[in-house]
Amino acid sequence: MDDPPISRGFKSRQGQTPSKRLPPGQYATADFPVLSAGPTPHLRLDDWSLSLEHGGSLLGTWSWAQFEALPQTTIAADIHCVTKWSKLGTTWQGVTFDDLLRAAGLQQPAAPYVMAHCEGGYTTNLAVADLIGGKGAVVTRYAGSPIEPVHGGPARLFVPHLYFWKSAKWLRRLSFMQANEPGFWESSGYHIRGDPWREERYDGD
Amino acid sequence: MSDNDCYVLDGNAAAGLLHEFFVVDVTTAHTRCGGCGATHVLGALRVYAVPMGAVLRCSSCQRILLRAVKTPHGRWLEMSGAQYLRF
Amino acid sequence: MTDGTAGPARRLEWQLAEVRDIVVETPRVKSLLTHVTGWRGHLPGQHVDIRLTAEDGYQAQRSYSIASPPEDELIELTVVQVDNGEVSAYLHGELRRGDRFELRGPIGGYFVWTTSSGGPLQLICAGSGVAPLMAMLRHRDRRAARGPALLLYSSRSLEEVIYREELETMARRDRDLRVVYTLTSKQPEGWTGYRRRIDQAMLAESCFPPEANPRSFVCGPTPFVESASRLLVELGHDPLSIKTERFGPTGG
Repeated sequence: MDDPPISRGFKSRQGQTPSKRLPPGQYATADFPVLSAGPTPHLRLDDWSLSLEHGGSLLGTWSWAQFEALPQTTIAADIHCVTKWSKLGTTWQGVTFDDLLRAAGLQQPAAPYVMAHCEGGYTTNLAVADLIGGKGAVVTRYAGSPIEPVHGGPARLFVPHLYFWKSAKWLRRLSFMQANEPGFWESSGYHIRGDPWREERYDGD
Repeated sequence: MSDNDCYVLDGNAAAGLLHEFFVVDVTTAHTRCGGCGATHVLGALRVYAVPMGAVLRCSSCQRILLRAVKTPHGRWLEMSGAQYLRF
Repeated sequence: MTDGTAGPARRLEWQLAEVRDIVVETPRVKSLLTHVTGWRGHLPGQHVDIRLTAEDGYQAQRSYSIASPPEDELIELTVVQVDNGEVSAYLHGELRRGDRFELRGPIGGYFVWTTSSGGPLQLICAGSGVAPLMAMLRHRDRRAARGPALLLYSSRSLEEVIYREELETMARRDRDLRVVYTLTSKQPEGWTGYRRRIDQAMLAESCFPPEANPRSFVCGPTPFVESASRLLVELGHDPLSIKTERFGPTGG
């Protein structure tokens, strides 16, 4: 079959909620679907820490109490999943990447790229340019309440201008790297950067 | 780690996607985990990350045994976590 | 066909399914009876992927269990209307007799039972999870196979039980088949059956004991399946004798 047969009367969801806020190919949802590459970890806050490192050197590390004491920022953003759903007008709270660098005493980023490492082994890569200037944060609250484990709590990376697989759940470590090494999805067919406005879903787009 | 997730499916649910890689039905095949050595039927494994792809994990130790992604530009399959597939 | 193998190795291609009949099972559930040209048969428990294409080229794909037995000519898919469900809204609201869509299958040789698989047959389900198990029961019925079988079916109410009349007819005709409902939200007046979520006591009372070596199949929303299979193992059933099919969070 060269051209798949048209299903009479079937319409895509996208036609139903046109909006300039939706990147190409996305539809708005009121739900908050969950997608994970592995089982949900249930971390105790006592056991949690976040580290910033470069080439094996620890640049900064924070316990939960220390992390909560850092400057907090509230961020309102639309989020876009590569599986085509978008959720508009979400609110999160946490520590911006800029403030994290400041807290580690860094005048500037240690390298041009970062790999996010998460509980359970998930990784995703980002350019520092996509994290600084308020573009990225480590968030601990969603809609005013602590983020549920299934949505990445206690802390997840938050980079809403890129597809949501980049907003890595269960974040534990941010490692600076010289080259843009691909993370979990980026090394298995997904785009290295993932800009929804350019529809950078897959490697090759 | 808790696996009390609503979102996890059985390996059986990945059968359609995996048919695009293997001509035979791979969900009835046996595999051995390269981490802990446990053997499982693929259909009995838990599968994650649908619809981004299929991530099949060992039910005993959670190690990833198989990862499959289908994109408009091609198909990608990685099975380094599994020692073998036995049909 | 023997247990566990769905015939010779071959590529899974998209085929054309034509809707021959639509049956309203319950207010939110419809069964589509479809004719698939060149269908090569299936095993009870297997599923299909269906694909819809809109005029602008947009495609959506979903999996559905085959509810009909291999003995029947038409392939039956039972569809629950899911809130905000793009595909189920179309299949429920728009689809008519004569319409066509793409279908590929049968898929999945793991979650399968035939009369040569042995028994007793132990089927535990919630909501639309009954669909693949119905294929197994209908197959057993068509073959007039008389081994012990149990269907333990959790539903919110009696009105929401899918295939209710057919199940009751089957159970009346067949002394070896027990159909047990647990109605978790609403029960009819005078209901003397179970009225709660499945738990260890219920399974201990209704199920075949581990010594009977039943083949267990559990199907429905993921939390239900996790709970039921865990309870069976706690009662002493061999985990390898329990096959599960999780439908995800909504089970729809």
